Amino acid sequence: MHAVSLEGIDKTFQAHKAVDGLSLAVPRGAIYGFIGPNGSGKTTTLRMILHILHPDAGRIEVLGEQGSRAANDRVGYLPEERGLYRKMTVRRVLAYYAALKGMASRAARTAGDAWLERLDLTKWAGHRVETLSKGMQQKVQFISTVMTRPELVILDEPFSGLDPVNLEVLRDVILELRDDGTTVIFSTHDMGKAEELCDSICMIFRGQKVLDGTLDAIKTQYGSDTVRLRVDGGHELLARLPGVSSVHDYGQFQDVRYDGDPQELLQNLVSTTRVTHFEMATPSLHQVFLRIAGPEAADA
Amino acid sequence: MRKILTVARTEYLNIVRTKAFIISIVLMPIFMGGAIVVQELVKDKIDLKERRFAVIDESGAMFDVLARACRDRPIKKDGKQVRPRFVPQQTDGDIAVRTRQVRDGSLFAYVVIPKDVVETGEVRYHTASPTSMGLPQFLRGVIDGEVKRRRFLAAQIDQALVAKLGRPIRFGTYGLQEVTASGEVAEAERVNQAQTFGIPIVVMILMFMLVMTSAPVMLNNVLEEKMQRIAEILVASVSPFQLFLGKLVGIVFVSWTLSALYLGGAGYLAFHFSVPVPGMIYVWFLLFQLLALFIFGSIFSAIGAACSELRDAQSMMMPAMLVVMIPMFVWMPVLKSPDSTFATIMSLIPPVTPFLMLLRLAIPPGPAVWEIVLSIVLTTGFTLGCVWAAGRIFRIGILSQGQTPSFARLFRWVFE
Repeated sequence: MHAVSLEGIDKTFQAHKAVDGLSLAVPRGAIYGFIGPNGSGKTTTLRMILHILHPDAGRIEVLGEQGSRAANDRVGYLPEERGLYRKMTVRRVLAYYAALKGMASRAARTAGDAWLERLDLTKWAGHRVETLSKGMQQKVQFISTVMTRPELVILDEPFSGLDPVNLEVLRDVILELRDDGTTVIFSTHDMGKAEELCDSICMIFRGQKVLDGTLDAIKTQYGSDTVRLRVDGGHELLARLPGVSSVHDYGQFQDVRYDGDPQELLQNLVSTTRVTHFEMATPSLHQVFLRIAGPEAADA
Repeated sequence: MRKILTVARTEYLNIVRTKAFIISIVLMPIFMGGAIVVQELVKDKIDLKERRFAVIDESGAMFDVLARACRDRPIKKDGKQVRPRFVPQQTDGDIAVRTRQVRDGSLFAYVVIPKDVVETGEVRYHTASPTSMGLPQFLRGVIDGEVKRRRFLAAQIDQALVAKLGRPIRFGTYGLQEVTASGEVAEAERVNQAQTFGIPIVVMILMFMLVMTSAPVMLNNVLEEKMQRIAEILVASVSPFQLFLGKLVGIVFVSWTLSALYLGGAGYLAFHFSVPVPGMIYVWFLLFQLLALFIFGSIFSAIGAACSELRDAQSMMMPAMLVVMIPMFVWMPVLKSPDSTFATIMSLIPPVTPFLMLLRLAIPPGPAVWEIVLSIVLTTGFTLGCVWAAGRIFRIGILSQGQTPSFARLFRWVFE
């Protein structure tokens, strides 16, 4: 049974089709990366999962509840745009958001205090939100998302605005949530973070799903044609070779996509220049992302 | 329901904990009480400076009368001077000199009494301080009395007899006389003007004030939640309609809190000054306040949800404010003729019913029962319609960003 299941979802805003026939299944207890370029329909999809928006067509099931908000109390949501009452104290904001999820006030207080301590915010509990730095507000928002121990947590760009130390703290918390059985949908543009954290990845582009599966499966799917090289002549030479469809220059080495047998490529290179590094490589998620949603794809 | 109450409770606490609310609660009675105290303190602080004035008496008959009246005019109370002394000076008709004297302060005014004043009744008072009323009123009274006396004398009519025959009747307004079981007719109570007109005016103004101060708060709060992106967090936990309804309930309780304070204070004052206030008026007040806040709270929160900027909200607020103002334009004819067709029809039109029906209810004997029932039914129906339509607008508007709202778009959202 999946935590979230979408089947044939369509959503149109006036003339713009934001989501087009999207189907996906988020496995329970996994960190599910939800990636895609700006305007691809990620936030619209997340809002439909939360029943903030209603699809024009298709079926949505969340934690066993179909087509209703019934599961929302068991879902924590951290939207990309943060929203906290500036004039409220941190403790009151947390209590309010927890109460809206149906948490008893005493339990909310205990959970809130524990999380504040965990994220080093205890001394700010009685302060107004407006007195906190952006990073601290970000952590308060994160606490409000997870303090009710939801079965499903939807995080939309959770690391934006955080310094490296707090970023690591939050990353550890997300992994702990997963280990405790919580399903996490992690929407991001940061391919490095998605690759680091996610068990499965779904990428949508122009409202349609273009990638879905475990990270290994995706890399295997896109990894057979990539060779990592260091040669005299650099990327200019590589780009001129027959069969090379693209070159990604990292400075010290280059990744090339080669349509053919890598042995032929090696022979060709050795006869042309000096080769100091030759490795069959799997593409990073970033490269896969660019391959699907980069300028070439966008022009297609 | 639990979530609606959670939203309502937070909304209520967020408002009543603001400095503005606390200040308005604490300072309002202080200002009102302070105004009374200040009035008491300054009521005797009138200008006691001597008023010298020139009398250009072309008739030759008025100066002595005026001088005697000024001399006899009481200016002290309990041994303390409470009014300015009037000092007349008989002068010639050199207007240029008199004008200069007024300007340089040696005279306060000059009065020209023509030769044929008894026939024409024409007197001219010249001053550089036209807002000072004491002296001209005094002169008018004295000269008027003397002119009349002379006219009666010339006509050989006894002025005292005319005054006696012309004395006005005593006309009293009383309530209905009750007939007891034994057939005795009980003495009716004399109508108290303060009670008859004071109570309706006070409840009407108070209702207007409370709606005007409470309902627009909805707009600000919704707009703030939208601009600060709090709305998306909230609607992920509660439905937009639950959020909207919770806010309405919250604002009703805020307004009822104010009502409790103000009505309590007004009730105490009425009791203190022995002005009987019918108990049912409090019930009607709270009921119509509830309906008014649901109507105008819905409208204002829908506007708040539809707008993304304060400037847009302010321009959209104007028509709504005009609707709130309607009762203020028409309440006076309703007060004067509460049973007229105009009053009946106006008080049955829902947006103004909470104000005008309340006004009519506060005027004895009050409207007919069917009118009260019909007004409540119509207003409740209108209120439900407002809440429904505003809820539909709220549902879409609360998440929309960057769109300049228009009434056409709001109308479309209602039926989308």
